[in-house]
Amino acid sequence: MDSREPLLIPLDACGQWDEKFVGGKAAKLGKLVRAGFEVPRGFCLTTRAYEAFVKDAGITPAIRMELGRKSMDDMRWEEIWDTALRLRAKFLSQPLSGLLREAVTEGLRGLNADASLAVRSSAIGEDSAGRSFAGLHESIIGVSGRQAVEDAVRLVWASLWSDAALLYRKELGLDPTLSRMAVLVQELVDADCSGVAFARDPRDMRMERAIVESVPGPCSLLVDGLVDPDRWELDRKTHAIITWLPGQRDNAQHDAPLLEPCDLEQILKTLLSVERLFGWSPDMEWTGKSDSLTVLQARPITTAVPDQDKKRTWYLSLRPGDARLKALRERVVERLIPELEALGQVLAAEELDLLDDRQLAEAVETRSAAVARWKKIYWDEFIPFAHGVRRLATYYNDAVQSEDPYEFVGLLRNQPLVATQRNDAIARLGRQLAANDSLRSALERLLAEYAGALHWSTFRGELIGMADGADDFVRGFDDLNERFLDVAYDQARLHDQPEPMLRHLVELSRARGQSSNDVAMAGVHVEALEMRLLDAVGPERRDEALDMIETGRISWKLRDDDNLLVGRLESQLLRGLEVAAKRLRDLGRLTGKGHPDGSHAKTIIRALREPSNATMRFEGSVKDPGAGLSCTPPGETPRQLIGQPASPGVATGAVRCIRGCVDLGRFQQGEILVCDAIQPTMTHLVLLASAIIERRGGMLIHGAIIARETGIPCVNGVRQAAEILKNGDLVTVDGHLGIVTVGAAEFDLEMGVEYT
Amino acid sequence: MQGTDKNAMNYSDEPLFDETDAGNTPDARTNPAVRDRIRTLIDEQPYAVLCVGGGGQPYGALVAFAFSEDMRHAVFVTPVATRKYRLLSECDHVALVIDNRSNKGGELMEVEAVTVTGRSHVIERGSEFDRWSGLLVARHTYLKSFVEATTCKLFRVDVVRCLHVARFQEVNQWIPASHS
Repeated sequence: MDSREPLLIPLDACGQWDEKFVGGKAAKLGKLVRAGFEVPRGFCLTTRAYEAFVKDAGITPAIRMELGRKSMDDMRWEEIWDTALRLRAKFLSQPLSGLLREAVTEGLRGLNADASLAVRSSAIGEDSAGRSFAGLHESIIGVSGRQAVEDAVRLVWASLWSDAALLYRKELGLDPTLSRMAVLVQELVDADCSGVAFARDPRDMRMERAIVESVPGPCSLLVDGLVDPDRWELDRKTHAIITWLPGQRDNAQHDAPLLEPCDLEQILKTLLSVERLFGWSPDMEWTGKSDSLTVLQARPITTAVPDQDKKRTWYLSLRPGDARLKALRERVVERLIPELEALGQVLAAEELDLLDDRQLAEAVETRSAAVARWKKIYWDEFIPFAHGVRRLATYYNDAVQSEDPYEFVGLLRNQPLVATQRNDAIARLGRQLAANDSLRSALERLLAEYAGALHWSTFRGELIGMADGADDFVRGFDDLNERFLDVAYDQARLHDQPEPMLRHLVELSRARGQSSNDVAMAGVHVEALEMRLLDAVGPERRDEALDMIETGRISWKLRDDDNLLVGRLESQLLRGLEVAAKRLRDLGRLTGKGHPDGSHAKTIIRALREPSNATMRFEGSVKDPGAGLSCTPPGETPRQLIGQPASPGVATGAVRCIRGCVDLGRFQQGEILVCDAIQPTMTHLVLLASAIIERRGGMLIHGAIIARETGIPCVNGVRQAAEILKNGDLVTVDGHLGIVTVGAAEFDLEMGVEYT
Repeated sequence: MQGTDKNAMNYSDEPLFDETDAGNTPDARTNPAVRDRIRTLIDEQPYAVLCVGGGGQPYGALVAFAFSEDMRHAVFVTPVATRKYRLLSECDHVALVIDNRSNKGGELMEVEAVTVTGRSHVIERGSEFDRWSGLLVARHTYLKSFVEATTCKLFRVDVVRCLHVARFQEVNQWIPASHS
């Protein structure tokens, strides 16, 4: 770092500096100012300011530690998001040094003291014709006051390491020791009309056409996709209007263009002047009409091919803005969830045995279509809405600036999740068994007798006759089964497999009075966190903050409930398939011991509709879900596995891998729950577990949240956890550090080996 | 397994980036076998910290080493007037620590290290001596006269296990076939 390089450069001087000091955006705008274009006044905090900040705050080692913890190729987007959140908190928790604060003060002195400001990223090489990383970095508008500018600057710096930027780390060449970011602070121009203009049509740069798009209000409405713009194609040579396409806005005058021909003429002239100045065809953001036309940004039109990585583009589409979140919330709460619940009830009430073959085929077809439709809704709407929790996280952290970036999770506690209601019902039955020794003994005897071949209708009758209080228990179990276990898990209906749940209840009843984990909401009170946020945002933003909390809570609740509700549709599809399969078996048209699943739906529907003597065969599965799957070469064993520290605490115990329905009944108190990903269908096991290890990573996933609520350690994001670890393995789970230690620290081998 | 079985009815789990098709797991792509990583490390690094514990006093010393092709044995040489020789004579349990740090700081996550545990013994001059001293001298030619000096002893370590550490805390164990 050269001390002669300034921390601050006025915008009109930025054009004289290399992009590596002021970033692409500021350099280009600086040149425009010098050339006489109207550009909002501003200043640039150079990349040297960024360097000074990260050096003073010791952030570079933190970034290296975060990014080096796991291979990014092994991280899911939820872990990448968490990484970015922790880095963001690190940037926010460190104050600017005296020198940097002086630089900001000096910069602000040159601007209108009352002006509302925009604080924008000016990254090195972000805007070039060959690539466009627009939107990866933060821009904050409507900032006023020195402290707010400082906060915004830190947020923009942090966005160099945003989740989106991390996804493009290879293309961006992100390097903790080399990457830097300049920040541009500009006065906001208040105009009634803004837009984007292209000197050439980005779809075909050879055509002599320019494109202008315009929305009423600030340009951010267009850039963020919140308002549909009017759109013109203009002839570059004659300046004639070729086409005008009005935007689809609710209260706009659709018959009157937003811009007059003279406004368009001014925009086109400006575009062509910018093109002459830089020597490339610009994509320009602008605001204001005619004489007051102001250039907000100019960069080369991107000719790069669209990103071919569909998962990455899908993820980037998953960050709905506040307006979209609000719309999603309304649709999800008022329409989709009630519809999904009602559909599940209707399907469950249908008496499939009474239908003839043609009607049954139709019922299966309806169920299959319903599952497909709701899975699509799940991906298209439920998952984007689930990001309401993440929006609450950034909102809370920006306002409160807590050292713990996950403090906001406390706001999500005590939500009436479907899974919580189910777990309460399970706990009640467990208590019933714990208080009635004769009932528990009878249940255990019957479970031993019917192991692996338990039919509830017979079993329940026998149990009722064996112990006092059994009828109550059986009724409770029936209720649990109907209300909560009509879901599909591991391609089977939990409803039809009561044995694992009955075994779990026996184990739970044994654990009662010992140290089974009750979901106690100890620690920080929800109300205290709410107050903390409301105090931080102040009375003016109180309603906004309450709304954000509400959206976050609904989003979190939905994230759990939607799995169970869509799982119920799948369960009902499986029920239809089972009824059909039984009918076909009785007719000798279906053989084999296999159970049908969703992939058999078409075959079964066809068989029901086209009576013939042709036979089908479903092979039975031979998998033993409880068996360990070794995936390490001979002689190699893991000693310490690394994951994310998802819930603090330390616990040592034997591994129990959950890979299928049967395992749900094998879990014993004190065992370490190991699975690929904790599903809402299995959160009741946590009541018995001493710790959780899972492959799926993230601080806001089911396992992490329930572990924190029950106060047991959790390490998630452990690569191939359920494959590497075997039932009975002794492990120590360190939820503080995110480490799983396998086996004891012994030297048995060394002691036993003699000289050869 | 959930997440890898495309037919599994589990849709709560969004995809892993860069996860392509079954068989090409992230583990296989980003994590070569531990044995290969250890081999690379010991081939790249000429020196190890020899840890000895005779006489109730732990002690460490830097030594030049070489490993056999099957990684079941390591060799080093030491003068007999040294502390390490004295302690090795009292206790043959040893460890070798080999790592690739540059000591420039800030590189914790990039450093790899291996701790090799085993039993050591002196290779006296005779039929085996040439084989094991040759292994060491082939790698460290400047040690030729040192190895041949009557005041030095050649030690062979029979490797019992190797603990490989990467990314600060990720530890994997490799045990040569004869001990596993």
